[in-house]
Order: sequence, then structure tokens, then C-alpha cells
Amino acid sequence: MRRRLLVVSLLLVLARPFASAVPDTALPARADSLKFGVIGDNGTGDRPEYDVGQQMAAARTQFPFTLVIMLGDNLYGRQDTQDFAAKFEQPYAALLGQGVRFRASLGNHDNQRNRFYPGFNMGGERYYSYADKNARFFVLDSNQMDPRQLAWLEGALKQSSDPWKICYFHHPLYSDGGRHGSEVELRVVLEPLLTKYGVNVVFSGHDHVYERTKPQRGITYFVAGSSGELRKGDVKPSALTAAYFDQDQAFMLVEIAGDDMFFQTRSRTGRIVDSGIVHRQPLDIREAP
Amino acid sequence: MNHHHAAVHSRPYAGHVHHARRERGTLTRTIHRIFRFVIDRYLALPIGAAVALVWANTAPDAYFTTAHRLAFVVNEVGMAFFFALLAQEVVDAMMPGGSLHSWRRWTMPLVAAAGGIVGAVAVYWTYLYYGHEDVLSPAWPVACAVDAAATYYLLKAILPRSAAIPFALLVAIVTDAFGLFVVAPRYLVLETRIGGAVLVMTALAAAVVMRAMGVRAFWPYLVFCGAMSWLAFYWEGLHPAFALIPIVPLLPHERRTTDVFANAPDDDAVHHAEHEWHLLVQAIVFLFGLVNAGVMLNDYDTGSWAVLTAQLVGRPAGILAGVGFGLLAGLHLPKHVGWRELLVVALAASAGFSIALFFATGLLATGPVLAETKVGILASAAGLLIAVSVARALHLGRYAR
Repeated sequence: MRRRLLVVSLLLVLARPFASAVPDTALPARADSLKFGVIGDNGTGDRPEYDVGQQMAAARTQFPFTLVIMLGDNLYGRQDTQDFAAKFEQPYAALLGQGVRFRASLGNHDNQRNRFYPGFNMGGERYYSYADKNARFFVLDSNQMDPRQLAWLEGALKQSSDPWKICYFHHPLYSDGGRHGSEVELRVVLEPLLTKYGVNVVFSGHDHVYERTKPQRGITYFVAGSSGELRKGDVKPSALTAAYFDQDQAFMLVEIAGDDMFFQTRSRTGRIVDSGIVHRQPLDIREAP
Repeated sequence: MNHHHAAVHSRPYAGHVHHARRERGTLTRTIHRIFRFVIDRYLALPIGAAVALVWANTAPDAYFTTAHRLAFVVNEVGMAFFFALLAQEVVDAMMPGGSLHSWRRWTMPLVAAAGGIVGAVAVYWTYLYYGHEDVLSPAWPVACAVDAAATYYLLKAILPRSAAIPFALLVAIVTDAFGLFVVAPRYLVLETRIGGAVLVMTALAAAVVMRAMGVRAFWPYLVFCGAMSWLAFYWEGLHPAFALIPIVPLLPHERRTTDVFANAPDDDAVHHAEHEWHLLVQAIVFLFGLVNAGVMLNDYDTGSWAVLTAQLVGRPAGILAGVGFGLLAGLHLPKHVGWRELLVVALAASAGFSIALFFATGLLATGPVLAETKVGILASAAGLLIAVSVARALHLGRYAR
């Protein structure tokens, strides 16, 4: 009896850090809220991508999201018609069948012509913007941040009066991934615009792990680049890291309700590996850059 | 008394002053010697690049912020002087008595350069095709870049007085000229306007008039005509760093009969201005290395390997194949240049370095594609070391037994 008590106590002590590291913040799934999924570096066509697709479809029964944002490397390797089927249409067949709309950004492995593929809903553009409920999404091509794209982004951000401004693109401005890490040069160019015009959240991929940073100049950065590819054990946590998961493939579920953004990150087995709430901070009360 | 004291104390003081002056003189001479060494050995760029690499990998935020602030002034304005100087060297060498004067000398290097271009570009595209990284396709002209100065100084060191040197220079010049024509119109700008052609014609006409009026000073041509041409290029969406090239043939200059990159004596007003220009360009080249060569070491990716393979394998193989084709077509190699020397020439021409960095920054915008391309370019400097090793193994030039 004593021994059993000791074992249980030991297990409880060991379990504590994990329990506190993954707060179980439930997604409210309100009827009028914006709900979307997030996948990145997914297009392998391998078993794990299909597993993630199935988990997303299963999650949708409880959390009826209508949008999936894709963070680039939507297709790896050859990119012919049959590859679109094997690496995109089949893994997400259930979601596509239910009318879920995928909106892609381009990664370094994506053929630039893929912006014309109807399933990615990019309207033939490398970079574009769209609004959904109380959020506006700004989708960038981070492979090359040319002057025209930067000017377009500044114009689009300036024009937007949407409460939530969400940016997504392939290469992370902040990352503790061991293979790539933060794209500092890109950050020097992009971050001033993101902070100036009040972007709230940024999603990226490229590093094949999941990571959430502590807010940087008022912006929460997510790396969600393990929805197909995975680099196991690649995160080298730093002062920047708020949470990470690099042991299995993962995807995110996000809900924006009023001034709160609820999020859950789930592994390909459906386990919640991170969750929380990002409160929208009006631009005028954020810390000065 | 006071005077006496002053006299007594002044001796050691005077000794100190003398000693300090002597030390200062030695220091000045040492600095001057180092400075000369750096300039004569074309080391400003590698030093700038080395500083950039260390800076980018130790304090990346500070480095990239600084680099972005300086980029326009260095790459678009400063580099115009660099390309003008290169053009001036080529124009000089093509004049009667110049090392590149006879068209016959051009034929075989032209074929070799064409082979090098085809080889490098073919390898680059093959790499992308099998690597499925279409995003790297705009960077293919980077494979058409030879650091002519690095090739020259290396060959001068390992194959002194060999006819392989002007041959290699011609290969480099032809290769770079091809790349230049491809890169110039692909310059990334926010918007392009028309009307630049009129401005360029005005700049050229002004240079012709100044020359007819006997203006011997150097700078009026650069400041007045050059500025007009620069604006015209920028206005039209052409890379403004090439803006001084059309003006160069109209500049007052002395004919040279020596090697293209050799420094002529600073013995008259025109040469004095050219000498000053040389110094200015060295400073610009240092800044160019500093601003553009800073990449984080984990930026390597497919693009790095594609550039590296194209430069180190595709170009040398292409040059050798081109020469083989030329020989079959009845062309001749320079005297005392055989296949062994050619192999060293082809490897010495494999480093793109300054020109490749310039092409990359002109073709690609800020981002990971540019960064990984730069890693490949910097690594292609290994071609110079391979050239030295091969020369040593084959007992060529200074390594002859």
C-alpha cells in the first residue's frame, strides 16, 4: 500500500510540469465565431499527412471550422496532377467534401505555378489578402520579399480596419528550430510593418516542428511546420519559447471570438499538445518597438 | 633659472617626442604597407565578406539592420563605380597595344566562355529539376558569374607570366558580360517608367561635347553625365549599377599596354584621377562585401548546392568542353597553354564571388532564396583552393619541379 502510494505520488510529481505546460483551454466553438485550421509543411503524401487529415476531419465534428490556412510546402517533390491528388486532395478528402476552403501560401518546395491551382484558393497571386468575419488575413510569399510585395503589404495593412490582423507565410521570423531557426533578415524587413499596423498573430512553417513564442513586440508567432514533415527533437528552446512540440506531426485549431483568439495544437494522434488564448491588444497600448 | 629648468627637462621630453614621432612613423608605414597589401592583392572584398559573416552570425539583428540601410547606396550607387572601372579596364585593354586588342585572341576564349556558361546553367537547372525547387529558378544567371579579379590574381600567383592569364580574363569578361545583359533588365524595382533612353542619349551627348571641348578632368564626366545616366537606368527599371558603362568609352584615359588589372604608374592628371578611382572602388568593394556577404551559416539549402555544383563542376567542365569543341573547329590555344593549364584556368574561373553576389542581389529580393544562393556563392571560393591544389599536383607554374 505504501509502495503504491509512493509510485502514485511520484507519477503525480512527474506529471505536474507537463500538465502545467499544456493548459487545457477548450475551444468555445461559438456559433458566430471564426474557426479555422492551420497546417504547414504538409504535402508529403506519406502516412502521417493522411493521419493528420483524418484527425482534422474528426475534430471538425466537434469544432466545425470552414477554413484551413496552409503555411507553405503544400506539396513536396514532383508536382504533377497526380501529385495534387496524392498529396492534397486525398489526405484532406473528408474536409474538402464538407466544403472546407483551403487558403495556401507558397513555401520553398512549392512550384510557383501552384498559385493557380483552384484547391489552394490563391486567385493566381503569390501574395493576397482576404477577410473572414472579424479578421483579415495577409498571405505573403516569404521566399522573396520584393519591393512590390512590401509596398502591397503596407498598403493592405494600412487600409484594413478589421479588429484582427493575421499574417501567414512560410519562413518564420522567430523560431527555435535547430535546422533553420529565425529568418532574421526577413524579420528586419517585415517586423516594422507588422508592428506598425497592428498585426496580432503570425503563422509560419519551414521548421518541421510546432512552436509558440512569447509575444514579440505585441505579436504572437506560431511555427506549425510539422503537419506532414517532422524533424523530431529539433527545437532548441530559448527565452523566446512559450511552448513547443517536436515529437510527432501536429496541426492547429483556432477560434476567434471577439477580442480573444483560442487555439489548440493537436498531434496526429489527436492529443492536445498546446492550447491557450491570445487576447487582442489594441495597437495604442502595445509596448513600443 | 626657469630657463635652465626648462632646458634640463626639455631633453627627456624632446626624446619622448622624437621616440613618439618615430613610433608614429613606423605605425603609419605599417598601416600603409598593410593597406597597400590589401589593395594590391584584391583583399578588400574578402575582408568585407569575412567581417560580414562573423557579424551576421554573432549579432544578426544589428548586422541585417545595418546592411539594409546601406544596401541601396552601396549596391545601386557605389557599385556603378566598380562596374565603370571594370569597363574602363576592358576598354583600355581593347585599344591598340592592349592585351585584348586582337580579335583573334577572343575567338577561343569566346567558345570556352560559351561552354562554361552552358555547363554552369545546365548543371544549375538539372539540380533544380531533380530537387523540385522551382522557386530558385530566377537565380540561374548567378551561375554565369566569374570573379575576374580573383581569377586574375590567383593565376598570376600560380602561373606567373603564362598566356593562360589573358585567356582566363577573356573567358571571365565574356561570361560576366553575358550575365550582365541578363541581369540588368531583371532588376527588382517598385515601378518602371519610360523616357530613360532620352536621358541616356543626353548624358552621352554631354560626354561627347565635354570631350570635344578638351575637358581632361575625370570627375565632371562622372558627376554630370554619370548622374544623368544613373537616373535614366533607374527610371527605366534597369540595374543602375551598370549606368556608367556607356559613359566609360568617352572618358579621357591613357592607353595601357599591360595586364588588364595591373596598376599603371600615377604619373599624370588623368592617371591620378584613375588612381583615386581605384582607391574609391576598393572602399566600395569592401562595403559591398560587408553589406552583401553576411549570411547565417544555417541558411544553406538546395540553392546553395545548386550554385556550388554549377560553379565548381558545370563551369570548369563546360570550359574544357568548349575548348575541345574549339580545337575540333580549328581554333588554337595560346602558346604554352595545354590541357593541364586549362584545367587550372577552368577551376580558377569557378569562383563567382563578387560578380555572383552582385547578380544575386540584383535578381533576388530579400529572403531565404537569396540567402541560400549567397551561401553557395561564398562556398564557390573553394574553387580557388582547388585550382591551387591541382596546379600543385600537376607541378605547374610556380610548383614546377
